[in-house]
Amino acid sequence: MKNWHWIILGILFLVTLVLEFTYLADYDSHWWNSIPAFYALFGFVSCIVIIYFAKFIAKNIVNRDINYYD
Amino acid sequence: MIEILTIPGVILIIGAVLLSLLPQKIRSSAFLIFPIAALAFVLTRPDGYSVTASLGNFELIVMEVDALSRVFGIIFAITAFVAGTYAWHIKDLGQQINALVYAGSALGVTYAGDLLSLIIFWELMAVSSTWLIWANRTEASDKAGTRYLLYHILGGGLLLAGIIWHYMTTGSLMVESLEQNYTIANVLMLVGVAINAAVIPLHTWLADAYPKATITGAVFMSAFTTKSAVYVLIRVFPGWELLIWFGAAMAIYGVVYAVICKDIREILAYHIISQVGFMVCGIGIGTDMALNGATAHAYSHILYKSLLFMSTGAVLYATGTSKLVHLGGLAKKMPYVLGLYLVGGFSISGLPLFNGYISKSMTISAAGYAHNEMAMLMLLFASVGTFLSVGLKLPYYTWFGKEDNDIDVKPIPKNMYIGMGIAAFACIFYGLYPQALYMYLPFEYDYNPFTVYHFVEITQISLMTFAGFWLLRKKLAGELIIALDVDWFYRKAAPLTRKVFVNGVDNFYDRVEDKIWDIARFLTQKFKNPMTWLNPFTDRNNEATRYSPAMEVVMSLILFTVLVFSLLYLI
Repeated sequence: MKNWHWIILGILFLVTLVLEFTYLADYDSHWWNSIPAFYALFGFVSCIVIIYFAKFIAKNIVNRDINYYD
Repeated sequence: MIEILTIPGVILIIGAVLLSLLPQKIRSSAFLIFPIAALAFVLTRPDGYSVTASLGNFELIVMEVDALSRVFGIIFAITAFVAGTYAWHIKDLGQQINALVYAGSALGVTYAGDLLSLIIFWELMAVSSTWLIWANRTEASDKAGTRYLLYHILGGGLLLAGIIWHYMTTGSLMVESLEQNYTIANVLMLVGVAINAAVIPLHTWLADAYPKATITGAVFMSAFTTKSAVYVLIRVFPGWELLIWFGAAMAIYGVVYAVICKDIREILAYHIISQVGFMVCGIGIGTDMALNGATAHAYSHILYKSLLFMSTGAVLYATGTSKLVHLGGLAKKMPYVLGLYLVGGFSISGLPLFNGYISKSMTISAAGYAHNEMAMLMLLFASVGTFLSVGLKLPYYTWFGKEDNDIDVKPIPKNMYIGMGIAAFACIFYGLYPQALYMYLPFEYDYNPFTVYHFVEITQISLMTFAGFWLLRKKLAGELIIALDVDWFYRKAAPLTRKVFVNGVDNFYDRVEDKIWDIARFLTQKFKNPMTWLNPFTDRNNEATRYSPAMEVVMSLILFTVLVFSLLYLI
């Protein structure tokens, strides 16, 4: 990842924030829409949760040597 | 009667028969004619068109057309063509025939108007697809293929039992939607279909077998079995609430396992389970919008998933391995495949302007509009995992990750590029012009995916998923492991089961057979010459067999007379 990659992603994120606060202020069909940048938080937290949860399961329960069934 | 030959499914099956008569040179090209012919019939048959046939006392509706069967028919025919193009270089007749029969029976299921024709195509699908696993001819694929076949025989058996029970109680064999009512017949049918839809915990055949199928076989398999089951669920079980939670659970289960798995085709296999979860959840919600969403998602899914299987197949073809730990750093060596893969990866992740976006957002919003916010959040959670594994982890550790990789990269056939190209084009085309798909959806429902809300939703989620991935990417690196799944129970139980039900029964019959032979031997010896033991007054070598012919005639006459008289006396 080069610097300009990060800059593009950052700009894109800013655009979504601007859109969220200008166009979607009255959007209230779900309870979470009142939380600012909810989807960003949700995405980040979910990602971390999935990785750690999967690692936990893998380490403690399901991972076996590749020749386990042979 | 001649109309039966124009049923799309039958066209492909006849094609398979003709294929076996053609010389090898033109076989691959001829393969492509039949999906096109089938597609022509799919597109030209109007709503309400039906073909009937009689079997014994049953009036079978072997083909019935409506909007729902048409949209599945279109995509099945297109995929058969695309996958056939990708497999053009294959010279193995068995694979070609079975792939065509497999696609044909999936189409047959789609158009079946009664349950009896449905189950016939259903079983044909299981048998023909098994060949695509066995065709790999490794010990692992032999075993996995057998497990796959056994699982599907179980599923087909449950479905057939349900159909018979259903017929006995209702007297109807029509394929029609059932009221949500957990009677034995309905549950048997539901479980039978759920096995093919890979609903957890009945999903293990998929993750077990698909990664071991042939490169081209996996492309066919990723399209037909699960999606024809999704079709049957939409048709027969719409709005069954249980499906909401099974679907949402599948969606999450699949993505968690995809993070654990370290084999590229296994990752994709688990993502089939996850994506089918979205569809199953939509079917459970059962509103017009949700059923449209499930249908549209099945359509998009077949396109991008076959593209993903094709491009990972290309990696496997070129490098000979599908293990992440051996891959990495291929960006310079296989740049086009990377580009094509990313189209599929972005589509499955539902990024804007790709075809996953137009169908996934519909399914997820349908959950929201039905005020099922828990299900909606579960699906959103799952789509984070989708982007994480298929959009980021898999391409990162296959094409990047290492500076360089000294692995040998074989050139891949041109037809593979063409197949991938068509699928990638379709992914982008439908992403830009969703109306091209929406016009075929079964229910009237106006839906516009290009809203600010959806754009903000998916962009924020994806950006932050990327951030999370980048922070923790080292945790996802390849290792040489396998991940146990619930198939552990039957795979571990297999030796004992074999001992009890196979070896035990075998031994029993062996012994019985030995005994029968012994008895037979004993009797033939003894009856060869009964006089040796009937007449104790002669020595063993008596001359009973050497009576003169005249003497024998006289003796038989006497015997006959005695018999006749005794009979007369008794009467």
